[in-house]
Amino acid sequence: MTDVAAAELAEISLRTLRVSGTALVIAVVLGVPAAIALGTRRFTGRGLLVTAVNAGMGAPPVVVGLGVAMLLWRSGPFGGLSLMYSVTAMVAAQVLIALPLVVGITLAAVGALDDDWHLQVRTLGVPRGIRLWLLVREIRMGLLAAVLAALGGILSEVGAVQMVGGNLVGETRVLSTAILMNTGMGRFDTALGLAAVLLGLTFLLAGLLTAVQQGGRPR
Amino acid sequence: MIGADAFPMLEARDLLRRIGRGPDAFVLSVDHFALRPGEITAILGPNGSGKTTLLRVLAGDPQAEGAGSVRIASGRVTLVAQRPLAFAGSVAHNASVGLLGQGIARAERDDRVGAALERFGIGGLARHDARTLSGGELRRLALARAFVIEPSVLLLDEPFDDLDAEGQRRLSLDLLRAVRETGVALAVVTHDLSRALLLADRIAVLAGGRIAQAGPRDEVLARPTTPAIARLVGMTNLAPGRVVAQGDGVVEIELDSGHVVAGAAMLPVGAQVWIGIRPEHLKLDVARGGGRAIGSARVETLLDDGLVTVVALALAGRSFTTHLLSGRGLAKHLRAGDAIDVGVVPEQVHVRMLDEPHGL
Repeated sequence: MTDVAAAELAEISLRTLRVSGTALVIAVVLGVPAAIALGTRRFTGRGLLVTAVNAGMGAPPVVVGLGVAMLLWRSGPFGGLSLMYSVTAMVAAQVLIALPLVVGITLAAVGALDDDWHLQVRTLGVPRGIRLWLLVREIRMGLLAAVLAALGGILSEVGAVQMVGGNLVGETRVLSTAILMNTGMGRFDTALGLAAVLLGLTFLLAGLLTAVQQGGRPR
Repeated sequence: MIGADAFPMLEARDLLRRIGRGPDAFVLSVDHFALRPGEITAILGPNGSGKTTLLRVLAGDPQAEGAGSVRIASGRVTLVAQRPLAFAGSVAHNASVGLLGQGIARAERDDRVGAALERFGIGGLARHDARTLSGGELRRLALARAFVIEPSVLLLDEPFDDLDAEGQRRLSLDLLRAVRETGVALAVVTHDLSRALLLADRIAVLAGGRIAQAGPRDEVLARPTTPAIARLVGMTNLAPGRVVAQGDGVVEIELDSGHVVAGAAMLPVGAQVWIGIRPEHLKLDVARGGGRAIGSARVETLLDDGLVTVVALALAGRSFTTHLLSGRGLAKHLRAGDAIDVGVVPEQVHVRMLDEPHGL
């Protein structure tokens, strides 16, 4: 690759990290409390919500992209915000892809806790905030698994970000859409280089999270 | 033991908790249950009688909510479940969980945690990962964690499960000492009668979701109100009969077989009754001062664990048991098939009016 290509590659890579990182943080911030609430409380409609989460975990990203595109299209309900083909739209699509994964896997971790966990903590008189902290400590392996799954799901996802981001050079182009574009143009060398960078990023982040996960495992 | 006159630390009234639906639903229905400071109450009962459900209701488990009231005079009720939990982290962290977020200074927290771990003999494990503990150590940790918050009421569900005999004995002693030192009101669910007898000041017997009998330990042991309770508290020699004579506070009861047993009771002639005799009170070799004779019994089996010989006897068409000290006197000479005279001291015969169905 030329120097210019290298600069562009760096820009695309950073944008990829920014878009997926932002989406991941939002999904975790929204998803973990939601999963804990779903896992620890009983209320009407809970079963429906859990079913929706499970369905969302398997939803095709391109369908999610279509939904976001319809919402943000000029004639759509949020068309006035002019967010179509923007980084914000890409983040929104990726949040919707990551959220069910974060909620679903965290919910499974909460559900795997011993039935008596909550009763034991409650009868020890632990205040609510500390109870939450203890719970997060207990399920941290599951939480990391949720983050890993969500990261994997959005970092390499192409359908939704292509649809709502448009792959605009210098604005919304990310690694996955750039690979798609270069492959379509028959520029396999460039596509392979970009793919290598994407794979490297994926392995690097997954490796970091796995190291944290393994480090926290009881010995 | 503070005494039965002490005010209750926990008092439950009119508890009603239904589990399941339809005719197969289990219903816990307890009119009154109290725990007093410094007193240990053993909750006994067959499987499915509602022992664990009662503990959970008393502990305020939201999933065991039902009707009725549980009033705590002061302090906190804490529960140690049948499967003790290890939270992620060290043993010391586990023991300190109940002190977190309470505004207690680190130094005081460490002192209290250290004292609680020492009290249950696991002070040397403070820095260990709690999830590497053995079953017995984990039970001790669960108790230390409960005592560290200085509860006013402590509820223990089968605290001796999975422990070997020595582990049970040591934990019983530690628990007994801790209760006497702290004055906590303790309820312990156990299926192990010997543990219950060792620890309990009072016994509550649950049957079918109701408290069938509750009272001081010795009273429940000596005067169970039904044959089922009698069996549960180890009074295994039971038989129905009819009062055929009475006088001077002693009644003579004729069993179905025609044998006559004398018991200390005031009941009218003709009354249908059941009798209960604890194994240790059934005397062999009546001629040498073994109480009033019942008749001749045949030795069926002898089970000798080196300390006690359990002798099964065929008497009055029923199987009775008695206990002898192993390796001494009769225990050395008795053989299966031997005939031997059996007797009992009238004051050690429990006599109750027979209600239907009695299950005898």
